[in-house]
Amino acid sequence: MTTPAVSRDRAVESDATTGRRVAFRSLFFPIFSIVAATGTAPLLAAPTPSTISALKQLNVEELMNIEVTSVGRRPTKLLGTASAVQVITNAEITSAGATTLAEALRLADNLQVAQRGSRGWAISARGFNTDLANKLLVMIDGRTVYTPLFSGVFWEAQDQLLEDIDRIEVISGPGGTLWGANAVNGVINIITRSASDSQGVYMEAGGGSELQRIAGVRYGTELSSSTALRFYGKYLDRDDSVLEGGGQAQDAWRRGQGGFRLDSRADDDEFTLQGDYYANREHDPAGITRMRGANLLGRWSRRLSGDSDLSLQTYYDWAQLSDAVSPLTLAGIAFSPAGRLHDDLQTLDVDFQHRLRASDSQEIIWGLGFRNTHDTVRNAPALAFFPTVLDQQLYSAFAQDEIRLHDTLFLTVGNKIEHNDYTGFEFEPSVRLMWQVRPTHTLWAAASRAVRTPSRIDRDLSEGAPPYPLVLRGRDDFKSEKLLAYELGYRAQFDQALTTTLSAYYNVYDDVRSTRITPATLLPFYFANDLAGHSYGFEFAGRLQLSENWSMHAGYNLIETRLHVKSGQFDLSNARNETADPEQQVSLRSSLNLPRGIELTSGLRWIDVLHNNNGPTPGTVPKYIELDARLAWHASPHLELSLAGQNLLHADHPEYGFPSPERSLAQRNIYGKVAWRR
Amino acid sequence: MAPLKKICALLLCALLVAGQPTAGMTAAASVTEPQVKAVFVFNFSHFVEWPADAFATPTAPFVIGVLSGEALATQLEVAIRGEHVAQHPLQVRRLSDIADVGDCHILYIDKSAGAQLASILAALNGRRTLTVSDLDGASQRGVMIQLATESNRIRLMINVESARDAGLTISSNLLRPAQIVRTSGGP
Repeated sequence: MTTPAVSRDRAVESDATTGRRVAFRSLFFPIFSIVAATGTAPLLAAPTPSTISALKQLNVEELMNIEVTSVGRRPTKLLGTASAVQVITNAEITSAGATTLAEALRLADNLQVAQRGSRGWAISARGFNTDLANKLLVMIDGRTVYTPLFSGVFWEAQDQLLEDIDRIEVISGPGGTLWGANAVNGVINIITRSASDSQGVYMEAGGGSELQRIAGVRYGTELSSSTALRFYGKYLDRDDSVLEGGGQAQDAWRRGQGGFRLDSRADDDEFTLQGDYYANREHDPAGITRMRGANLLGRWSRRLSGDSDLSLQTYYDWAQLSDAVSPLTLAGIAFSPAGRLHDDLQTLDVDFQHRLRASDSQEIIWGLGFRNTHDTVRNAPALAFFPTVLDQQLYSAFAQDEIRLHDTLFLTVGNKIEHNDYTGFEFEPSVRLMWQVRPTHTLWAAASRAVRTPSRIDRDLSEGAPPYPLVLRGRDDFKSEKLLAYELGYRAQFDQALTTTLSAYYNVYDDVRSTRITPATLLPFYFANDLAGHSYGFEFAGRLQLSENWSMHAGYNLIETRLHVKSGQFDLSNARNETADPEQQVSLRSSLNLPRGIELTSGLRWIDVLHNNNGPTPGTVPKYIELDARLAWHASPHLELSLAGQNLLHADHPEYGFPSPERSLAQRNIYGKVAWRR
Repeated sequence: MAPLKKICALLLCALLVAGQPTAGMTAAASVTEPQVKAVFVFNFSHFVEWPADAFATPTAPFVIGVLSGEALATQLEVAIRGEHVAQHPLQVRRLSDIADVGDCHILYIDKSAGAQLASILAALNGRRTLTVSDLDGASQRGVMIQLATESNRIRLMINVESARDAGLTISSNLLRPAQIVRTSGGP
């Protein structure tokens, strides 16, 4: 996961004249923000004549082998269509030339995605994209992958063999009613193919300028007519990035991952068992950071009748971080020396869900969940958590009813109740209304409440562990951050070739994280909930099929966030520490199939200025425009050769981080790859 | 990296033995369930034989009724454009009322209309209508062809007796890859 905290971006920067501190940008791990680029598949299936005419050429057996994606299919939880959903398909990921999950997320127009250096990513929806972005819920096959350390994701530790990803569903807007705490500004649902859909041998190998080596292999086999199994492995190795002030960022890294998935099916039962293991080794100016993790997940679902089914899922996840931590220096004064933070997190999660059609007009989903986490930390002088061993339990229950009010009018009401050890009971209700204006036009509106429950940073952090001076700490009275969200959306297929989705939102936030100072002594600073405010925005995505072989995609995103310090309170960062988002972002993508098996894909993205909001001293990431492109040749049905370029317009450019000679940049990367499927 | 070298070596072998092209569509952009189902329904018009008395005149339209499946109907309209069965032009009718189902040669009953299935089948009794549905268990209840989705793929389940009772003959091209189902239990 990521680089050590305090390393490059000083955790704290001070303003000598006022004595106030400003930004805490990187208390921890560099992650960051910004914007997303290109495409997504519209939820409403466009009746593209070319697809239909191609399908008509197939015989019955071939038709039966075509893989379909269905609207609003729900792998584990209901994906309400009355929300701002974009789906990234396997084909889009492949043709865009993405090499990691984080890169693939640039294809969602409703995300802010920013890369820092060779391995750091900040990814968020509807803003609040900082180093410690914490309002997004991310799941891989139903397993939650954000860390309770800061409620964010170590993106460089979360990956899959992209060939075997079925799709990525990206929901902007709250999803707490179904998914619970942390699904505040969005939900990312990464879904891999079932073993029966990833049969045979796949191999890939490649390399280039920044991505020096990538290799992947998968073998899928049928154990019986109803049981299939696949194994996979993936390796990649990236070079150092560069610093704004010149020189190497010393952030080269490499990682390996392997795993399996077994799917079995009987008449009314489906059973899945899957697991992964990964190890990362990352350079950092402060030393070597290591990450390792493993997980094992089992899911059983049973169809009780056509109108009722249930599923039971359980997983165990282990994630270990050994993070090189830089010394803590503030205003030129060394507060604590360099060291190493070890974190060992074990999670056990059980989730039950039942869906039933209660009547002609009502479909109910309800479920129960339990999660136990066991977190053990060995502290560094400059970065520590107390208590060092923490066991926590999370209990949850939810129910949602989708009611057909009229032929074309649907009302969905639901609520989730959670109990966590930090704040006790939390409630996350929502009401959604969907009107099928015409068969291919849907108008929807929603009002929801969501919460971000405290993470270990908010409660247990100690920057500077005894005997060293304490500079910044969490507090036991840190509350949940709250959101009330109002959304409006429209999805339409205007004719056979044009599909668009629009959504607009108005979000009201309360109890957002702020930083107080200790009276008289100034230090330590500590976290409080003294910010409130609102944001509004607009998201657009459109797909145009220009011809049978040429499709275009366009995306636009507007975010305005207004946070303020609550009256009578104080925030060290003037309410400017929790956001660093582009007001606007635009993406354009083109996918062209040429004769002789040649495929040309390109994606252009324009990202507005990022205000890094470092207190009274404004800092920005300049607006930028970048281009990705990929040329592939399907030399035979089994063999594909490709050449891909990322960030082609500049040798390097910043996407995130306060201006400084130490800011690490996203570099141009050109790589070639050979893929073979059989 | 040793593992990388090994994989490169394997790829080289692969180049030498790369086989003949497979027929059909490779994983094109995403294909949706309604698209594939619509093409299946269109194909049924060619793989099933209707007796001559199913049509008023030799050029009367061949009617495919779609009950509640809006997404499928939209795709089907694309699929049948300009198509004929013998000299009968294909026509799609979006139905909302089961009173209208009788005039169809093919009737697609979306699972969202599943609650009305028993009354639909009763209304069609004795008519030359090929019934198709994606409702779970539809074929056991007497629907002639059920489109079942398993692991993101469409499977056919065919109730041959029901079709025979309606005077329809289903081609072996359709029966071969399908699962044959008998009516079970009550109506």
